[in-house]
Amino acid sequence: MQHPRNTPRSWLSAKLPFATGALVVVGLALVGSSCNLDPVNRAAVNALGPERDDLYLPESEFHRPGEPCATCHSSAGPADSQFVLGGTIFWGPRNYDRRVDGAYVRIKDARKTTKCFVTNCNGNFFVRPEEFEKLTFPLLVSVERTQDPYNSNSPRLAFKEMGGHIGREASCATCHILGLKDFGSPGQIYLFADEAQVDQAKVPVTVPCPNPDKPTIVRCPEDRL
Amino acid sequence: MSATKLAVRVGAALAVTAFVASGVVALTASTTSCASSPDTDRITAVIQPDYESYRLHVDRYLNRRCGTLDCHGQPGRAYRMYGREGFRLYTVADGGLISGVQPSTPEETLANFQAIVGLEPEEMSRTMALANDPDLQEAEGLKRLIFIRKPLRLERHKGGPAMAEDDPGYRCVRAWLAIPTVRPDGSPIPPDQRQKMSPLAIANCQQAESFP
Repeated sequence: MQHPRNTPRSWLSAKLPFATGALVVVGLALVGSSCNLDPVNRAAVNALGPERDDLYLPESEFHRPGEPCATCHSSAGPADSQFVLGGTIFWGPRNYDRRVDGAYVRIKDARKTTKCFVTNCNGNFFVRPEEFEKLTFPLLVSVERTQDPYNSNSPRLAFKEMGGHIGREASCATCHILGLKDFGSPGQIYLFADEAQVDQAKVPVTVPCPNPDKPTIVRCPEDRL
Repeated sequence: MSATKLAVRVGAALAVTAFVASGVVALTASTTSCASSPDTDRITAVIQPDYESYRLHVDRYLNRRCGTLDCHGQPGRAYRMYGREGFRLYTVADGGLISGVQPSTPEETLANFQAIVGLEPEEMSRTMALANDPDLQEAEGLKRLIFIRKPLRLERHKGGPAMAEDDPGYRCVRAWLAIPTVRPDGSPIPPDQRQKMSPLAIANCQQAESFP
């Protein structure tokens, strides 16, 4: 005779609470992994609006120039890749369409480690955690653009050094707010003080971006072999 | 029901009602009688640190170290700083001040000073009351200030360690707060009779403001 505790029915009733609990945990994990549970970050991501596929290749390294990268590209954000720093360089203080390709963004951290990154054809640059290990805030930043970024010995066309430092923010555009130059934002990051100077300098603008005929520059002169 | 039982029940009901009513009356009386109308003439005196030394030597360091737009140069901070490279003091009169453009204004320096003092006015008073004994002040006063505790990481600071006890910035701030602004008897020392920061302390401030 089978003991009552060993019948299939009693076994099921004994395991049912555990099975239900496990299902709830798995369900929560699935929901948590697929959705952004941070309401502040979620609101910030939503506020960015949809991608503009008429201006750039969506969800590529060229997308959303001038927008705060780390809103999405951080542990709180929905992007797959994370950045410890990222931003966009513009030629002038107002024109959104003139962005600087091949600019050298030099970053010196609190440990006095200096690394250089290059903007792509849409003016974007970004630093992944593995590209600047132990990055320690605050940071000093300068931006240089030579006349011909493909040539390591090309003379300087424009140079700008940040007046202050970056205290702890990963997105340049959090403070350098696109289209807003006022008491709380110095506006987009630019190399020439006004657009007339940009006209005079006859700066190159890479069109189309990406341009299949022009290889992407990924290293600053000091990092080239 | 007998007359006796009825009387007991009525008596009990009356007693409960009276108890509740007295409680309500007491609660009402206690809440209404304790609330006096605000005294608009009342002020809380704060023993403030020396403003002149702050203006000349300390503000530039604190502004440069703490006042960037991604740290204390933003409206969300209790300790809010204004200055050229960060957040600008916005008033109707000088609404044209733009971050990173015009030099810092005297009004911004004053606002920064007020932000430090207003952060914990009572603790600042206690700390400044000890300024006649700098060792005692450092031991018992300075590290009660949240403005010191946070950058030294004695308390959680989102911006990480912003000062260390052996760095010129901390020495600059310590020397500034060690200038007595009241006498031991509590009477105020007029600004023109106060001690000045030593050349060494000024050199520390200058070194600190060249950060990083």
